[in-house]
Amino acid sequence: MNPEAFLQLDRVIHEKGRLAIMSMLAASPELSFTELRDALGMTDGNLTTHIRTLQESGYISVAKSYQNNRPLTTCSLTTQGRKAFADYVDLLEKIVQQTRKLK
Amino acid sequence: MQSKSMETDWAAEHLQTIRTLMERSAVYRRALAPILLFAGVLGIIGSLVGSFLDLDSVRSFASMWLATAVVTIGGAFFIARRQAFKDREPFWSPPTRRIAVALAPPLTVGMLLGFIFALENAPELFGPLVFIWAFFYGCAVHSAGFFISRGMRLFGWVFIVSAGVLSFLHEHRGLMINPDALMGFFFGGLHLAYGIYLYITEKGKNAA
Repeated sequence: MNPEAFLQLDRVIHEKGRLAIMSMLAASPELSFTELRDALGMTDGNLTTHIRTLQESGYISVAKSYQNNRPLTTCSLTTQGRKAFADYVDLLEKIVQQTRKLK
Repeated sequence: MQSKSMETDWAAEHLQTIRTLMERSAVYRRALAPILLFAGVLGIIGSLVGSFLDLDSVRSFASMWLATAVVTIGGAFFIARRQAFKDREPFWSPPTRRIAVALAPPLTVGMLLGFIFALENAPELFGPLVFIWAFFYGCAVHSAGFFISRGMRLFGWVFIVSAGVLSFLHEHRGLMINPDALMGFFFGGLHLAYGIYLYITEKGKNAA
């Protein structure tokens, strides 16, 4: 097993909550704050923190608008985020394959 | 060796979690409001037709509502399929299969009981049949909610609790309700109410 593979895992995505957000967004063009919160069972504060971290890393973009005079926040993966997520999944698959070969 | 095995498990579990979340996300938006509205409209139509025809036997009552259920399920599949094509997603995907599997046991039991009650054809079975259907339907929706959203689980509970309360009032407080009106409330009104709620609030409620 090559230990470098573990070290290469993106630390931003690797955190459980952020990985869940990235996974949801990878399968949908965009999701609203509430959709993410309800689907993942996170608190508003927790989700906000993770979204901010992902946004600062350039992995997701956050759009704020108004719908029926109410604020609407939607999140989507950026190109950079989509690539980072794909790389992360590829690396995980490599880890699984490599370790199985060694068994 | 044990450590290597744990590493594989860990990475494999992560991949499985990712897969599950992506599947859930793809299903999340699919056609829920249109299906609920469709079911609600059919429920109201069924209630009106039943009242108009004044079905006075459990057999005719159960037959008409079982036929309505079959049309509703067929229509729901059609709407979901159309939505899947529109979104360029596979219709019979793993999450869709999971939802179907979750719905199947309670719906099947409810329908079977409908057939049994229809064969018995005893007038006193009118009330219990409606409550049993509402109860099993609530259980079905609640199970499916584990693969769609938390809101669906709450929606399932609304059926279960409403059926429990109305059944208690019916059995112990002598509350008399027209069975077709009751079906209209459960399968028309509740579906319409939640469908309209989802339709209106899908974007609007997403305040952050």
